[in-house]
Amino acid sequence: MSIMMLIIYIAPILVGAYALSRRDKSFQQGLVRGLEQFTIIVPRMICALIGAEFMAMLVPTEFISQFLGTDAGMVAILIGSLAGLLVPSGPVISFSIAATFADAGASVPAIVSFITAWSLFTAHRIFIYEIPLLGLSFLRLRLISVIILPPLAGTLILIWTGMLSLAGL
Amino acid sequence: MTTADNPNNPRPAYTRNRWITLLQASFGLSFWLFAGFALVMGTLCYIVLGPVAFSSAVTKDLQQLLGILPRVVAALALAGFIWILMPRDRFSQLVGRYRGFTGLVLAEMAGIITPGGPASAFPFLAIIGRAGADRGILVAYITSWALLGIQRVLVWDLPFMGAELTTTRFLVSLPLPIIAGLIAQRIPLPLSFGEPQQQEQGRP
Repeated sequence: MSIMMLIIYIAPILVGAYALSRRDKSFQQGLVRGLEQFTIIVPRMICALIGAEFMAMLVPTEFISQFLGTDAGMVAILIGSLAGLLVPSGPVISFSIAATFADAGASVPAIVSFITAWSLFTAHRIFIYEIPLLGLSFLRLRLISVIILPPLAGTLILIWTGMLSLAGL
Repeated sequence: MTTADNPNNPRPAYTRNRWITLLQASFGLSFWLFAGFALVMGTLCYIVLGPVAFSSAVTKDLQQLLGILPRVVAALALAGFIWILMPRDRFSQLVGRYRGFTGLVLAEMAGIITPGGPASAFPFLAIIGRAGADRGILVAYITSWALLGIQRVLVWDLPFMGAELTTTRFLVSLPLPIIAGLIAQRIPLPLSFGEPQQQEQGRP
């Protein structure tokens, strides 16, 4: 992890040094562009993060967990997908919830659907990176393109295990 | 393309007026939507959960912001330099060459091996998007990164969910980015990567 963090900080220094070495105003232009983006992104980011944190506290995850743990089959897959969509928290809380589901005997397809949905719809990521860097038209296109993936992931596991049991394995 | 997007033309001088426009853009309509969202959620939190939970949420917010801000600054500086330095014509040809199924497979592989979390994946996506990469490739890349990114699988899936469930999820997710990319290619919605300030100005 710390090596990855290091890369995030070293990469702009290296690329910036290269820009400076070209002596053609690339460095200044790059900085101005970064500053422009900063001015536009950061005020929104602060509001979005604060809002998402409050929302994370309001979503009744324990209440949802009952439903995810009790049922199997397609119903559990759909509830798992929906739960992953509604949990707007970071990976620590989301994976803790997923691990609790697993311990409580939730079906593997339901857990996989939950993790898939959370991975694709993480609110922090959408607010901090996706909307500022790519804009709403891309967000709309992406959400429509991936909306079926969480239940599809769970269903693929159901089909696979069904085929295995048919083959007598 | 505006003159500012063309690397052959020098960018316009940054007059005072330009920065005022920029500030207007940064506090434009969508800023107030986010501010309203935070205000409504904060008020709900205060009413439903009480002042103690409210203040603990505020503390967590501030810590999180302090942790994230340096990474956002680094990511934006990197994106800014790359934006200026990138040989756009050659890069467009490169990403434009991969449009079919091969492109989706390459996008998925790139998503799996991208290091450094969202602070590197999203700026990269913005760069290839503005260079004219196919929409299917963009969606396949970010879907692959979100579901299969090797760093995330090793750091989060494996410790929390164990080897067996992680392997199952990884294998079953392998076709998903390509499916998402194929769907994206068939959605005829308009897609613009225009500058945020220009989008703001375009609003009534």
